[in-house]
Amino acid sequence: MTALKAFISAAIAGLLGLDAVQAGQFLLSRPALVGPLLGWLNGCPAEGAKIGILLELIYIDFIPVGGVVPPNGTAAAAAGVLAHSAAGLAPSLSFFIGMLAGAAYSPVEYRLRAARSGWNAAVEAEAAAGTLRLSRWFARSMLIEDAAMTAYVLAWTLLCAALALVPRLYALYPATDFAYSLMPWIGLSGLYFRFMTQAKKKK
Amino acid sequence: MTEEAQKECMKAAPAGSAPLRAVFLRSFFIQAAWNYERYQNLGFCFALEPVLRRLYPDQAACRDALSRHLQIVNTQPYMASFVLGNVARIETNAVAAGSGGACLKSLPGVKQALASSFAAIGDRIFWGRLKPMTALVCLLVWAAGGFYGWLYPGMAQPASVALLLAGPLAGIALYSAASVCVRWKGLAAGYGCGGSTNCALDSFNWPRLIKALSAAGFLMSLALAFIAFGTLAGMACASCRPADAALKLGLPLAAIGLQRLWRALDRSVFSAVGIILAASVLLFTVLGFKPLGLYL
Repeated sequence: MTALKAFISAAIAGLLGLDAVQAGQFLLSRPALVGPLLGWLNGCPAEGAKIGILLELIYIDFIPVGGVVPPNGTAAAAAGVLAHSAAGLAPSLSFFIGMLAGAAYSPVEYRLRAARSGWNAAVEAEAAAGTLRLSRWFARSMLIEDAAMTAYVLAWTLLCAALALVPRLYALYPATDFAYSLMPWIGLSGLYFRFMTQAKKKK
Repeated sequence: MTEEAQKECMKAAPAGSAPLRAVFLRSFFIQAAWNYERYQNLGFCFALEPVLRRLYPDQAACRDALSRHLQIVNTQPYMASFVLGNVARIETNAVAAGSGGACLKSLPGVKQALASSFAAIGDRIFWGRLKPMTALVCLLVWAAGGFYGWLYPGMAQPASVALLLAGPLAGIALYSAASVCVRWKGLAAGYGCGGSTNCALDSFNWPRLIKALSAAGFLMSLALAFIAFGTLAGMACASCRPADAALKLGLPLAAIGLQRLWRALDRSVFSAVGIILAASVLLFTVLGFKPLGLYL
């Protein structure tokens, strides 16, 4: 049952992840929503919400301008929630694992984007031949992104399940609990000073 | 091209003759095949396709038109509609004027100039202000509903699923309403004045909007800071021991100080988080000290 839920959660993360770049950009992929949503599905909505919003606050520092690939909030929230709900790790450790998973997704996304550069020549050839159907290329692009995110989240869940088997892992929890308790202040500080600086600007 | 010829190009087509609704719906997929070689070119061409297919019933002309829009383009995704509207109008005008290539000569330059200008505006409005504001809205909704688990993640506090989802959804609803509105209005404005390099740049009072959003964001974050420190002070005072109270207030302040220091040093927030985590592991796991805590 847990494995099935983990798989469904990863698939949902894959779909929501498309919203970040590929389709819509309604912010449905943000960890603030992915956290409580997957937490609800896995029986821990409050922990999911906490992990999600704290990742949101930390990740809000990164802005996707000029083709920069920021850490992926969907991967972070999904991996974090599943590390707690499916692998049984403490929420505090799950949060830090989620943060790492989100940051480590950037190179994956970079490679996916770079791989699509090669499509231009084929698309131009189709356009010249009068057989261009861009919707097919888009479907392909989104399927690959969806599958990559789903597989990535599942891989992290498996990794966390293996980590849970490490003896005396609980010895880490006082440290991660303490560090976790300070994360809201790091995040709030970032938000507050960002807007304060913006409000002070004359132009 | 002479100024008169350009004017002729710009007034040739009647307004409202392009399938803008289809372009609008397709513009939501403008980044579907984003790539490092030409950025949003495939999405841009896809969004413009309904206009081009209507304008060029002749297969060869349509092929040329589609190829024309497979060139490099990159802008902020919500602001792309301004550029799309403008380009749709240039193409429409060119066909209506019957001058073919003459009216399209300015197209690449206009497209590039507008894409850069609108990207700069869009980045400041959406990524720089509205997106962080959605997190603030979420936290304020949770605070209004009495959920403070986000501030004290170690504390077990039950909350209804409806409230937990209402927070992020409220922020998303506000953000999406703004982005969809800008997308639609941008397309209409771009199409309305298409052809010039400053087309639709004055369709909104951008500086005023940016200033208003900055002020709103600051007020919201100020409210949140009051809520956060108010509840923290309440909890600290409840402990009745001055040393405990000082610790409970001092730890968050130290974390904020560290974040500010790292920001001043132009380092990533990950470094600040990493230092806190590494120091915690050293103190409480390796050296075995009893954890001090806000509420552990």
